[in-house]
Amino acid sequence: MTTAAAAETAPKPEPREAKDESPAKESLASRVGRYAGGGAVRAFLVIVAFLWLTPTVGLLLSSFRDPADIATTGWWKVFGDPGQLTTDTYDTLFGNEDVMGALPTTVWITVPSTLLVVVIGALAGYAFAWMDFPGRDWVFLAVVCLLVVPVQVALIPVASLYRDLNLFHTITGVVLFHTAFGLPFAIFLLRNFFAEIPRELLEAARIDGAGELRLFFRVVMPLGGPAIAALGIFQFLWVWNDMLVALVFADPGKPPLTVAVQQQTRQFDSNIELIASGAFISMIIPLVVFFAFQRQFVSGVMAGAVK
Amino acid sequence: MSTSSGGAADSAAPAPFDPPVSTVPGKPAGPGRPRRSVVRTSPSLAVWFLLPAVVLLGALVLYPIGYSVYRSLFDVSGDDFVGLDNYTGLFRDDRIRTALRNNLIWVLVAPAVCTALGLIFAVLTEKVRWGTAFKMVVFMPMAISMLAAGVIFSLVYQNDPERGAANAAWTTIHDTFSDPAPWPGARPRPASDLKGPAEGPFTSGATVGAGQPALLPLVAVKPQDVAGEQPAAEPRAGGDGINGTVWLDFKPGGGGAPDAVDSGEKALPGIKVEAVKGGEVVASATTAADGTFTLPAAADGAKLRLPASNFAEAYGGVDWLGPSLVTPAVIAAYVWMWAGFAMVLIAAGLASVPRELMEAARVDGANEWQVFRRITVPVLAPVLAVVLVTLMINVLKIFDLVYIIVPSARLEDGNVLAVELFQQAFAGSDPDLGTGSAISVVLLLLVLPVMIFNIRRLRKESGR
Amino acid sequence: MRSSLQTLQHVRVVRTAVAIVAAGAFAVTAAGCGDDGDDNGGDGGKADKSGAGVALPKLDGESLRVGAVWTGPEQENFEKVIDGFEEQTGATVEYVPTGDNVASFVRTQVAGGKPPDVVFAPQVGVLQEFVKEGWAKPLNAAAKKELAKNFSQGWQDLGAVDGEQYGVYCKAANKSLVWYNTAAFENAGAQEPADWQGFLDTAQLVSDSGVPPVAVGGADGWTLTDWFENVYLSQAGPEKYDQLAAHEIPWTDESVKDALTTLGELFGNDTLIAGGAKKATKMAFPDSATAPFADLENPKAAMVFEADFVGAFVNETDAKVGEDAKVFPFPAVGSDSPVVTGGDAAVTLTGSKGAQALLTYLSSTEAAQAWAEPGGFISPNKNMDMAAYPNDVQREIAQALVDAGDDFRFDMSDQAPADFGGTAGKGEWKALQDFLADPKDVEGAQQDLEKAAAAAYKS
Repeated sequence: MTTAAAAETAPKPEPREAKDESPAKESLASRVGRYAGGGAVRAFLVIVAFLWLTPTVGLLLSSFRDPADIATTGWWKVFGDPGQLTTDTYDTLFGNEDVMGALPTTVWITVPSTLLVVVIGALAGYAFAWMDFPGRDWVFLAVVCLLVVPVQVALIPVASLYRDLNLFHTITGVVLFHTAFGLPFAIFLLRNFFAEIPRELLEAARIDGAGELRLFFRVVMPLGGPAIAALGIFQFLWVWNDMLVALVFADPGKPPLTVAVQQQTRQFDSNIELIASGAFISMIIPLVVFFAFQRQFVSGVMAGAVK
Repeated sequence: MSTSSGGAADSAAPAPFDPPVSTVPGKPAGPGRPRRSVVRTSPSLAVWFLLPAVVLLGALVLYPIGYSVYRSLFDVSGDDFVGLDNYTGLFRDDRIRTALRNNLIWVLVAPAVCTALGLIFAVLTEKVRWGTAFKMVVFMPMAISMLAAGVIFSLVYQNDPERGAANAAWTTIHDTFSDPAPWPGARPRPASDLKGPAEGPFTSGATVGAGQPALLPLVAVKPQDVAGEQPAAEPRAGGDGINGTVWLDFKPGGGGAPDAVDSGEKALPGIKVEAVKGGEVVASATTAADGTFTLPAAADGAKLRLPASNFAEAYGGVDWLGPSLVTPAVIAAYVWMWAGFAMVLIAAGLASVPRELMEAARVDGANEWQVFRRITVPVLAPVLAVVLVTLMINVLKIFDLVYIIVPSARLEDGNVLAVELFQQAFAGSDPDLGTGSAISVVLLLLVLPVMIFNIRRLRKESGR
Repeated sequence: MRSSLQTLQHVRVVRTAVAIVAAGAFAVTAAGCGDDGDDNGGDGGKADKSGAGVALPKLDGESLRVGAVWTGPEQENFEKVIDGFEEQTGATVEYVPTGDNVASFVRTQVAGGKPPDVVFAPQVGVLQEFVKEGWAKPLNAAAKKELAKNFSQGWQDLGAVDGEQYGVYCKAANKSLVWYNTAAFENAGAQEPADWQGFLDTAQLVSDSGVPPVAVGGADGWTLTDWFENVYLSQAGPEKYDQLAAHEIPWTDESVKDALTTLGELFGNDTLIAGGAKKATKMAFPDSATAPFADLENPKAAMVFEADFVGAFVNETDAKVGEDAKVFPFPAVGSDSPVVTGGDAAVTLTGSKGAQALLTYLSSTEAAQAWAEPGGFISPNKNMDMAAYPNDVQREIAQALVDAGDDFRFDMSDQAPADFGGTAGKGEWKALQDFLADPKDVEGAQQDLEKAAAAAYKS
């Protein structure tokens, strides 16, 4: 992920950053295109992009419409009547102190959850991929099985556990819950990516005298870059958009964004415009974060790899 | 996020598995020896790497599972041990059988479609300049909350073509191939001489004779639909044919006499009138702008019939969330959300495909399909497996989309295990934790086939 | 990969919705006219009322948490009521929206050791569960006294379990109303009907005028149980109603057959149902509630039957309650029009001093009036001043409820086990949906109902 930018900042001995511009180094797909008919591929992708965009556009336009309009006509009617568009819902949400005040809580939940999942998942993934211990593959499979556990199964038992640990209604409790439920996927993904790292590299580092931790942080983590970034993004988004866990475990006085937006909804109503605008407000932050950090993030990863 | 994610697949991505010392181009996935620890340290070191994960998983995930297994052996109240009764009860319940069947459809279809699309997108986007933009578009749904995604798809699948995008598109296509009826929904009054099924045709009880005016009153036309029509005229006089009028026998505000052309009542032009004798149509006419029509003398003694084609309701589109389409419809929504997930991970893996090998193959005369089939796919196999397995497991516990999109009346048709689990153990005031827990244990057992597939993969891997 | 289950529920109007009087934009529009829209203005008014009102202990420094399903405007209105309590006692009250599933929310909070002090149970069954689990605490003497002073015996009994008073039904719903589009009635030359035959005739007249007459939100099974309950209560009478509610008479009883046959006169006539019965089985309640009002030029229906909270939906449209949208009582099938109700019961889960004081306050006339002012709320409090309601429609709805005295009946399906009366795709909901799809099969519907009831009431 985040790599177009990265490639510029971090020169690599790979010829791959060259794209269509350079015929001598053209990528796999550009050749596919050339052979299979670039026009057909392009047309296909355009159609798919259109199909994929339609629901999002519908959601976006719905967020700018009156509930009364939503109740009578489809969102595409705004193309014939742009006067329907209104920013009322956004004004309400942005002007609401509870909603805006919920942002820090969301960040305090999301960022630690993401970091913890990445670090703990990577440590375990590395151990499952490259360390010897009895029953390694079986333990690994058991962890993967945990992917199937639905969150709702855990709500009540974990709530009682948190009562005893004094973690109920705390951010720590929410973070730990998200981390635990993010781990099976993290371990599964990273173990499989780490296992693909060429053994020679690790052995070379080992011969250079690198210790276990150094090997992990200097070789494995950087090489797992794309997978770790993908994991980080997914985990970030899942936690950011979570409502259920927060509703149960977070302090009701200081809820995260999703719960705060939900508190603005009206009963007996689909609240489409609120849910839609809430979704887009909620999307802004992750977008900004990734645009802002992608350079640093990837170049940092690359620096590690080159050293 | 999209760039980031999209970028992962970008051809410019730094190749994580293609280190500067790329020694084994043919076998990027590992050496030919059994994979063993590079560090050869004692297992105690592994403990430290695993400890945080084990503690968290044990306390917050395993413990609830243990609780579920235990709880599933007790009845609703939680006091009486019932053994496996909750489990046998599951398979007697029609709802749960439907849920199992639907879960099976989900597991077989959704992950495969997502992975296939993800692979196609990841490979094809490498060739176009706006590949990153495309990936953003496909990835975007992942950033939308499940709630919002569910809401937007329940809008897409709305039955009313005025509101539901799917039916709006579908009816537009349909209507370009067929003409709409002039007066959909119009019908005679219940007490009228015209009789027939609700959707027409309507046939008069009396026969018509030459020189007699034939009055054919209809009602149930929206006021605004006749706003532009002429006032209805009395049947023309004279001629040797049969003269009549078809009109809207309803005066806004009420008050008009039934079966009489009152002032203020509007004409219904464009209606086909047939004269029927012994089941045969002997003559037909179409009403004029003032609602009148004239049939030739041949129609004398016939009954008048207004064929159903005059009144056919506008095509309403497809019932997307009906019993037969509900599961495919929700799967489509899932694919919309999760194809981006598959694409991003596959793109991350694509970065490790050895370009040298591809070039070599091409030089040897392999076409692009062969390169894809023989090099790209095998090298991507581990990633594809990860994606497929993750999605399969994820789909086993699919909940949100089904729960939001499927209307409650259809929940029975679109039911899946996680929804049933929720209904049993959480919804309502009288939860059955015994049955709910049993369902969650069944969910766990359903992962086993997926796991067996994984074990074989691991075996192969370590045998390499 | 995570689900955000319960919280999603507010998308769908679930069972809980039935029992609640919603406010919606009633509140928004009416808030401006209400005399104490802001805290300062409220001070004077409330001080006056409290003089004649309830005595509450001093609770300086105490803090309370109150949970209910309300969000948005309903939440704001309730918080205004709470303001009065805070001023009088010095306690601080934090309002916590529970999400639509109050019972599961409370279950998790109890497990976490921090249940809200007071919670509003939207159904009788939920209240009973709280008692059964030992979470609910009985009212203290002061609260009971205030309750007895202001509420009729029938409403008190609804909040009692095994002779012990736990709940305060301070918010009620009148579920025997038909909302209609005035323009559509005018165009058709129709009048508000008083009895069932008049209702059918009116529907026919409206249909002839070109407007689909009655919207039925059959996709949400609870709207159908409400149809049945109103017809049954009016036709078979309160005694039979109570017997059927307790399943002392079977659903195969002759009285059920009569009620279903009566209902079939409407459901079985496609010209009287907007879109026909088949389409009605797919119409969700929110869609049916807005059908007469969303597009005033071209309404999708002229009438919709349901509770006072339809007003919340009307306010989502451009229609004005009292002008474009009016109500008439459910037509009398037997001798009298039925009054079927729902409501929210406040109950304490901690029994703390502050919680008891809050329940006392909520039982008071003062709280009922403060709550009524912004609109969207009706109270069963018999001593409150009807002038407190912000408009005639609201007053009419509340008056009907109070006039019914103890002859009203609480929603039958809410009293039934959830498996029968409160679960989508099961029991009574499912059976009546099947009946709507095939209204000729009265006997089959009765068999289905009895089978489901027998199973649900046994366990």
